[in-house]
Amino acid sequence: MNGSLNIPGHTLLHRLGAGWKLGALCLFGLILFATNHWIPLAIALAISLCLLASTGLSVAQARKQLTGPLFIVAFLMLATGLLVEPMQGIAVGLRLMALITAGYAVTLTTQVSALLEVIERLFRPLDRIGLVNSAQIALSVSLVFRFIPVLIDQARVIREAQAARGLDRNILALLVPLIVHVLRSADDIACAIDARAYPPPAPPRKRQVP
Amino acid sequence: MAVVRFENVVVEREGRISLQIPDLVLEEQRVAIAGLNGSGKSTLLRLINGLVTPTRGRVTVDGIDAAKEPRTVRRRVGFIFQNPDNQIVYPIVSEDIQFGLKNIGVAKSELPALAMKALSRLGIEHLAERQSHLLSGGEKQLVALAAVLAMAPATVLFDEPTSGLDLLNRNRVRDVLLGLGEQAIVATHDLGIVSAFDRMLVLDQGEIIMDRDPASAIAAYEARCA
Repeated sequence: MNGSLNIPGHTLLHRLGAGWKLGALCLFGLILFATNHWIPLAIALAISLCLLASTGLSVAQARKQLTGPLFIVAFLMLATGLLVEPMQGIAVGLRLMALITAGYAVTLTTQVSALLEVIERLFRPLDRIGLVNSAQIALSVSLVFRFIPVLIDQARVIREAQAARGLDRNILALLVPLIVHVLRSADDIACAIDARAYPPPAPPRKRQVP
Repeated sequence: MAVVRFENVVVEREGRISLQIPDLVLEEQRVAIAGLNGSGKSTLLRLINGLVTPTRGRVTVDGIDAAKEPRTVRRRVGFIFQNPDNQIVYPIVSEDIQFGLKNIGVAKSELPALAMKALSRLGIEHLAERQSHLLSGGEKQLVALAAVLAMAPATVLFDEPTSGLDLLNRNRVRDVLLGLGEQAIVATHDLGIVSAFDRMLVLDQGEIIMDRDPASAIAAYEARCA
């Protein structure tokens, strides 16, 4: 999650606007899916790795974050290679790793607030015609980034309490108290957001006063 | 500093009165509110910035009705909740400080400097780029306070600010409370942090049963709970 990955810095990627980075990432993804040849895909992966290296991330940190996705990609690569054809498997592996690495580089160098601003901007046309509230969507995404680690912690606490009382792993026994906790916290979080004068004042432009 | 006024306030929940305050004016620099669990301390605080609406009567801050104009009141009155984990809504500390500032219409260009100023005020500027969920309980509480102070409120409401903190962090929060230039209204069970306050109210079953200086109120409250 971005909240646990973003690192401060002043590299070129850090200085680029979030909108440009996300746009470039989308374009990069489209290009990756436009070819099945391993050479351009390998070049794309090399570019992604260079981008990641330019963020200043240590090899140890990169290994820690990318090991999990690497296993999944390796599985997909193997499955495609066996079920379709070997070269197709290599193409799938290179493509996915290039995309994941590039996405990781963008995530590392982009503040959550900048990402949220882009999301808000993207939804603004729909906001103007009254279909969605772009500020609310951006805040919701922020809350997801913020509270996933909190929920993971809470799940661990519940699991430890249950283990201490001799309960074996049981997904239902974990989910019920976790959901109760989430619902209870949701009220408090909503109050806290209200108390901090949310929502922001509407921009003076175009919005009509009823 | 704001003047908080309760006029014939009654809050009912599920058909029973949970808080009843006929007349109360809070204008001192530091006011403590004590009382047993469920005595109405949190409700009283929440009435002040419009998070709870009275069933009858009204609460005003500098003459502004908190129930009718909560947004206006919340620009003047900040709120520190018991669990700072639920108060910090952004994953990075400096971004969380900026959230409240954006909500009150501060220009984007001014946000980073104001956020850093608020963190520096509490001596926690080194936390600016840290991830919120990795902070200690005391650090989270201070970040939550910095986020509120950044919005330049006249009054800050604290709901059990030292709950769950170790002694070191509890003392840090106490020192911050005593050093605040803003008006502080603090609901707490931790009587040690409010002994130097200007005024103390004790609630019981939704009513104010003591309203005096902290030294005598603490002694009487402790005798009552003995």
